[in-house]
Amino acid sequence: MKLSRSLILDMSAGPVFHVALLFSAFLLFRGHNAPGGGFIGGLVAGAALVLRYVAGGADEVHRTVRVAPELMLGLGLALAVLTGVAPWLVGDQFLESAKLSVDLPLLGTVKTTTALPFDIGVYFVVVGLVLAVLRTIGGEE
Amino acid sequence: MIGLLLLYGGVALLGPALSRRLGARVLFLCLVPHIATLAYLVSAWPRVAGGRSIAESHEWVPALSLGVDLRLDAFGLLMAGIISGIGVAVFFYARWYFAGRSDLGLFAGVITVFAGSMVGVVMADNLLLLYVFWELTSVTSYLLIGIDHQKGAARAAALKALLITGMGGLVMLGGFVLVGRAAGTFSLSGILATPPSGATTTVGIGLVLVGAFTKSAQVPFHSWLPGAMAAPTPVSAYLHSATMVKAGVYLIARLAPVFATVVWFWRPVVLAAGVATMLVGGYRALRETDLKLLLAYGTVSQLGLMVVLVGAGYPDLTFAGAALILAHSLFKAVLFMVVGIVDHAAHTRDLRRLHGLGRRMPLVFAVSVVAVASMVGLPAALGFLAKEAAYEALLHSGNPVVTAAVVVGSALTFAYGARFLWGAFADKPVRKEDDVALEVAAPSPAIVLPSVVLSILTLVLGVAPALGGKLVTSAATAVGRTTELPKLVLWHGFTPALGLSGLAIAVGVALFLRRGSVDRLQSRLALPAGLTTPYEHALSLLNRVADRSTGVMQNGSLPIYVGVILLTVVLLPTWRLATDGRLPSRIEFADSPVQALVALVVVAAAIGCARARRRFVAVLLLGAVGFAVAVLFIMQGAPDLALTQLLVETLALVIFVLVLRHLPEQFPRRSSRLATGLRLGVAGGVGVFVTAFAIIAAGSRTHPSAGDGLVERALPDGGGRNVVNVILTDFRAFDTVGEITVLTVAALGIIGLLLARADGGEGEEPGK
Amino acid sequence: MIVVLALAVGGLYAAGAFLLLQRSLTRIILGIALLGHGANLLLLLAGGASGRAPIVDGSDQAVSDPLPQALALTAIVITFGLTAFLLALAYRSWLLRHDDEVEDDVEDRRIARLGRGKS
Repeated sequence: MKLSRSLILDMSAGPVFHVALLFSAFLLFRGHNAPGGGFIGGLVAGAALVLRYVAGGADEVHRTVRVAPELMLGLGLALAVLTGVAPWLVGDQFLESAKLSVDLPLLGTVKTTTALPFDIGVYFVVVGLVLAVLRTIGGEE
Repeated sequence: MIGLLLLYGGVALLGPALSRRLGARVLFLCLVPHIATLAYLVSAWPRVAGGRSIAESHEWVPALSLGVDLRLDAFGLLMAGIISGIGVAVFFYARWYFAGRSDLGLFAGVITVFAGSMVGVVMADNLLLLYVFWELTSVTSYLLIGIDHQKGAARAAALKALLITGMGGLVMLGGFVLVGRAAGTFSLSGILATPPSGATTTVGIGLVLVGAFTKSAQVPFHSWLPGAMAAPTPVSAYLHSATMVKAGVYLIARLAPVFATVVWFWRPVVLAAGVATMLVGGYRALRETDLKLLLAYGTVSQLGLMVVLVGAGYPDLTFAGAALILAHSLFKAVLFMVVGIVDHAAHTRDLRRLHGLGRRMPLVFAVSVVAVASMVGLPAALGFLAKEAAYEALLHSGNPVVTAAVVVGSALTFAYGARFLWGAFADKPVRKEDDVALEVAAPSPAIVLPSVVLSILTLVLGVAPALGGKLVTSAATAVGRTTELPKLVLWHGFTPALGLSGLAIAVGVALFLRRGSVDRLQSRLALPAGLTTPYEHALSLLNRVADRSTGVMQNGSLPIYVGVILLTVVLLPTWRLATDGRLPSRIEFADSPVQALVALVVVAAAIGCARARRRFVAVLLLGAVGFAVAVLFIMQGAPDLALTQLLVETLALVIFVLVLRHLPEQFPRRSSRLATGLRLGVAGGVGVFVTAFAIIAAGSRTHPSAGDGLVERALPDGGGRNVVNVILTDFRAFDTVGEITVLTVAALGIIGLLLARADGGEGEEPGK
Repeated sequence: MIVVLALAVGGLYAAGAFLLLQRSLTRIILGIALLGHGANLLLLLAGGASGRAPIVDGSDQAVSDPLPQALALTAIVITFGLTAFLLALAYRSWLLRHDDEVEDDVEDRRIARLGRGKS
C-alpha cells in the first residue's frame, strides 16, 4: 500500500520540519528547569522525521539525515557514558554532576550543569531509534 | 604441596596442546608431576615419619569455611606415593599401549587431572576441599571410562559409574555438612582430634559411609566397577585398581579409629559390607571368562578385605590394612598391565580362547606369577606379609566370624588367582569348535618393563620387610594415634596365623582343581548381580518421569505458558493481600468528573482494542488508550510524563501502521468458545487482582516517599528546577544509562532483523 | 486514593492479559502495549495524591511525587523501544512465513508424545 502524497503536505513538510527540530532543541535545553529534556526533545525530533517520511518516504528521510542510525545511537550512548565517566578524572564519582557557568559573547552568562551533555546523549539515542525504524520498517516501497 | 597440585593442573592444560606434535609421547610429559610428587614425598619423609604431619593452608572461600587446607602425614604419604609411583609405571606403560596414536590429548589431560585430584583427596584436611577433589575424581573417571565415546557400551558404563559414585558423593557431602556443623569445624584433623557425637554426627557419618562405599565399590554399590572395565587397560590399572577405588578405603581408614566407637552402627555396617563385598567379589571372579572382568571382581573382593581391615578401627588391623593397600597396588597394577599385553598380543581376553601363552612370552608369565603370588599370599611376596599381619591381628582382636570369612575370602582369592594364571598362560586341551587365538605377536620389551619393575619391588619388599615396614608402621601410627604396633615379619614361626594361611591355600587349591564342579555350581546358583537391575529400573523410571513431566510442563503452547504465569501472579499473592492488606484511610471515587470520564474512556478503549477483529481498529483504539492515559497524567500533575506519552503514542502509532500495512486486514478467527472463556477468566482475574492490589498498595505506605527529599535537593544539588528531569539526568542517571542502552540494543535489533532480508539472505520477498 | 484510577489500571491489565493469551503475534504486541500503559498508571498511582507539577518555583503548594514520574517516564520510553522491536519481529515473521500466528513448538510436542507413549 502506497501512502498517497499531497501537495500541501509536500510543501509544508520542509519548513515545519525545521521548526520542529528547533523546537525539539529548545525542549532539550530547557529540560532541566521546565517540562522537556532529552527524551521529550528526541521524541519531538523523531516526530519531525516521521513527518518528513510521510511527505517523502524513506528516501526523503535519507536525504535529510545522512547519518546512519547506528552511528547516531553509538554517538549518543558514548556521549552519555563519557559524561558519566568524566567525573572520575577529577576524583568524583560516576555520573556526579557539576555546575557550569559560561560567559558567552552574545547570550551573556549561561548557567548549566554537566547533566546537559548527558541529556544530549539521550536525545541522540532516541532520534537514532526513530531513524532506525524509518530506515528499516519504513523502507519497503 | 599446593605447588604439586598446581603442577598437575598445569601439565593437564599443557598436555592436550602438545599432544598432536608429540603423539603418544605426550604421556612422558605427564610423568613430570608424578616424579615431582615422588621427590617431594621423599624429601618430606623425615618430617612425617613416626606419626607427625606437615600442614599448609591457603584461603579460598572464607565465607563458606572452604580453604585449601592441606596436611601430609605418613598415611597420606603412603597413598600419595602409590598414586604417583603407580602413576609413573602406568603412564610409561600407556605410552607403549597407545603407541602410534595421536589423539591422546584428551586422555593425557584428563588422567593428569585425575592424578592431581587423587593427590588432593589424600592431602586435603578440609572436608569440603576433600569433597571437591573427590568429585573431580568421579568426573574424570567418567570421562576416562567413556574415552572411546563412539562405543555405546562405554558410554553406558561411564554413566553408570558417574551416577553411582556421583550420587554417593552427594550423599557424602550431606554427611560432611552435618558432621562439620556438629563439630563446628570442617577441618578433618580438628574433627578427629575432638570428635563430635550425638544424633547429627551419627546421621552424618552414616551418609559419609554411603559415599565411601560407592567409591570403593562395596556391596551393594559394586556393580559399576566391572562395568568400568570398558575403559582402556591403563585406566583400569590406574583408576580402578590402584588409586580411585581406594579413596573410600582411605576415608574409612581415617575415620574408623575415632568413629568406630562414637557411632554405634559403625562396626556392624562396615564389617558386614566389607565381608559381603569380599565374598561376592571372590565368588564372581571364579565365574568370569574375561580376564579383565575376573580381575575387576578380584579388585572388588580385595577392596572388601581392605574395608574389613581398616574399618574396624583397631591399630593392628589398620596396620595390616595399610600393608595390604600397598601390596594390592603393586600386584593388581601388574596384573592389569599383563591383561593389556595379552589383549594386544592375542586380540582376545577370553580365557577359553587363550592357549600356551606361557611358553611364548615367558617374561610376562614370570611377572604374573610374582603378582599372583603376592595376591594370594605366598611367602617371599609382599602380599604374604600383609596376609600374615592380617591373620595375626584378626586372631588377636577380631571377631571369629569375620576371621572365618577372611579365610574363605582368601581361599576364593587363591582359586581365582590360579584360574587367572591357568586361563591366560596354560596349555589347555582345546576343543575343536573353539577358535583358539594362535597368532600371537611378541610384546615389545618397553611395554613389559613397568610390570617387571613393580614385580621386583613386590619381591624386594616381601623379602626385606624392614624396607616397607617403616612406611606402613608410620602410616598406621598416623591413622591410629598409637605407637603400639606390630612389625612386618617374614617368618613368625609356626603360629595360628600361618595355619590359617595354609588352610586358605589348601581350600583354594581344592577349589581350583575341582573347577569343573565349581563352574556347574556357579551356573546353578547365579547370585543377584548387585544393584544392576534396580539401577536400570531407576534409570528408566527417571527417564519416563522426565519425559512425562516435560510433556506436561513444556507443552509448547505459548498461550498456556503465559496463562500459567498470569494465574500464578494472581493466585499466590492474593491470600497475602486478603490477610495482611489494609485499605487506605482516604478513599475517593474521583478527583473530578472529568477524571472519571477519561478513566472510562481508557477502559472502554482498552476493551475495544481487545475485542477488535480488524487490525487497524485495534491499533487506533490502542492509540486512544495512550492519549487518554496522557490526559490522566496531566491531571495527576505530571507534565513531562504526559508530553512523553503523547509523543511516544504518536510515533508508536506510525510504526504500527508501517508494519500492519503488510498484514491482512483481519485477525484470524480460530479460537473455540472454551478457549475464549478461559482467556476471559484469566484476564478477569488479573484485572480484579491488579485493581485490589493498586488500592491496597496505596494504603500500605509506611514511609514518606523518597521523592520529597529529591524535590528539596533538586535545585541546590542538581542545579535544575524540573525535578523529574534532574532525577533522570542526575540523581538516577545510572538508570537512564541502562535505559538508553536498552533503546540502542532494540534499535540495532530492528536494523539486524530487517536488513538481513534486504541482503537477500534467507528471507523471501514480501507477498504482492 | 482514587478509585477510578485503580479501576482504569485494572481494566488495562485485564485487556492486556486477554490479548497476551492470544496466538496472533500482533495481538500479543497490542497486549504488551496495554500492559505497559497499565503499569505506568499504576506507578503514578502508587506515588500518592495528585498535585502541582514537580517544578521548583518557590511556591509552597504541594507538588506531586516526582520519583514515580521519573520511573514511569523511563518505562514509557522503554516500552516504546520494546514495541518497535516486537513489531520488527512480527514483520520479519510475516515476511518469512506469511503468518502472524505463534505456533506450538514442534519439538516440545514431540517430547509430550514421548511421555504419553511410554506410559
